[in-house]
Amino acid sequence: MSKITDKLREYRVDGYYTEFDYHWTMTVDLDRCTGCEACVVACQAENNLPIVGEKRMRQGREMKWIRVERYWDGDYPNARLNFIPMLCQQCDQAPCEIACPVFATYHNQDGLNAQVYNRCIGTRTCAVYCPYEVRFFNWFTYTWDEPLEQQLNPDVTVREKGVMEKCTFCIQRINRAKDAARDEDRRVGDGEAQPACAQACPTDAIVFGDRNDPDSAVSQKMQDPRAYEVLKELNTAPSVIYLKNARAPLHAEKDEGHHREEAAEAHAAAGEPRWADSGKAAS
Amino acid sequence: MSISVFEAARPVFTGLLVAVMVIVGAFVGHWAHGAWLNDHTPVQPIEFSHEVHAGENEIPCQYCHAWADRSATAGVPSVETCVGCHKGLSEVRGQPEIEKLFGYWERGEGIPWVKVHDTPDFVHFRHKPHIRAGVECQTCHGPVEEMARVTRRIDLNQDLRMPWCIDCHTEEQVANGRDCLTCHY
Repeated sequence: MSKITDKLREYRVDGYYTEFDYHWTMTVDLDRCTGCEACVVACQAENNLPIVGEKRMRQGREMKWIRVERYWDGDYPNARLNFIPMLCQQCDQAPCEIACPVFATYHNQDGLNAQVYNRCIGTRTCAVYCPYEVRFFNWFTYTWDEPLEQQLNPDVTVREKGVMEKCTFCIQRINRAKDAARDEDRRVGDGEAQPACAQACPTDAIVFGDRNDPDSAVSQKMQDPRAYEVLKELNTAPSVIYLKNARAPLHAEKDEGHHREEAAEAHAAAGEPRWADSGKAAS
Repeated sequence: MSISVFEAARPVFTGLLVAVMVIVGAFVGHWAHGAWLNDHTPVQPIEFSHEVHAGENEIPCQYCHAWADRSATAGVPSVETCVGCHKGLSEVRGQPEIEKLFGYWERGEGIPWVKVHDTPDFVHFRHKPHIRAGVECQTCHGPVEEMARVTRRIDLNQDLRMPWCIDCHTEEQVANGRDCLTCHY
């Protein structure tokens, strides 16, 4: 697999930018993720996302810039649940940017995949091209009942009918951090710009920062051998890196389970600890 | 044998006429909206004159709009700020507009000022970086100190349109000044 992806990487077309000013990156530690969906709620509150209701949800017109996907593994009672928070991957080789006929989505100098609402004409081509299915179309102009409109974030545009929207890596917070940094004539430090999801995550599974800074928490996390990119074979070069221990699927372990129990019993009989090498115990 | 254009167009003539009328109507409507229908000079609840305050009395802009150099919005002054000066100005006390001000003050209400320089929701203009970069208020707002009632109808910036922003950002070589995400998010 990695050979194929390395081969594919040779075919990458160099982008407009030779290097990014900041390269905002997010790592999501799936071994830490408990699937609590605090990130979903935080995003909803921060970015003025409408509640579309049950009917629209069934029609597939949900509005969630970040969603926690669930993958069941195995059969009851021997079952396991895997979570993966899915949000815009801010791909450096983004398929959506190629698709847009009016350049409403483009790559900016900070490695962000920008979505310009006032330029978007709503062809929805980008949503078709997106392999991660993280772009959402405003089919209606959603309104907020009194007094809920008071909780809208003034730093974020309230989108109208007919435009596409997606995760922005909380660009309003990044801009605010940059603004504060410029007053002191320095670069944005590590941890100063935090998207709402990273801030809300109770287990610190989501880490956000600048990849260009080798000392940032994100750069350290990316060195982790567990790191992988979702749909890497599509050659999109995402800016969201997931960390996950590879585990054999449960149905394959079913037979193995007996072996383990037998091995454990053998360990116990031999007076060895349970974690001793099973090969030795068998011999 | 020749084919007349008019003969060929005869079956769709009505449709063409309607199309031409719609296009011309759109142009006229757009012009009329800019020229007459758009209220560039809204009537304020109190006939507050910047000409008197900023012009004759030379009060600095940021005495009242105090948040311009530290916030996204410049802010309108509180009624307390107005009354703070006007309590001591007995010579203008009897005028009807000043009495309106004290009416708001005694009722404990805010003054419902009408916003003149209003940008659309998808434009996030921030005052702070502009003030700190040394841009004069008049560059965007026009000669406010000569306006009895503030208008945004000034030829200078063509009603605060985006090409005008971009021109300045290009000339001054603002860092990432032409990136969409600088203003639109």
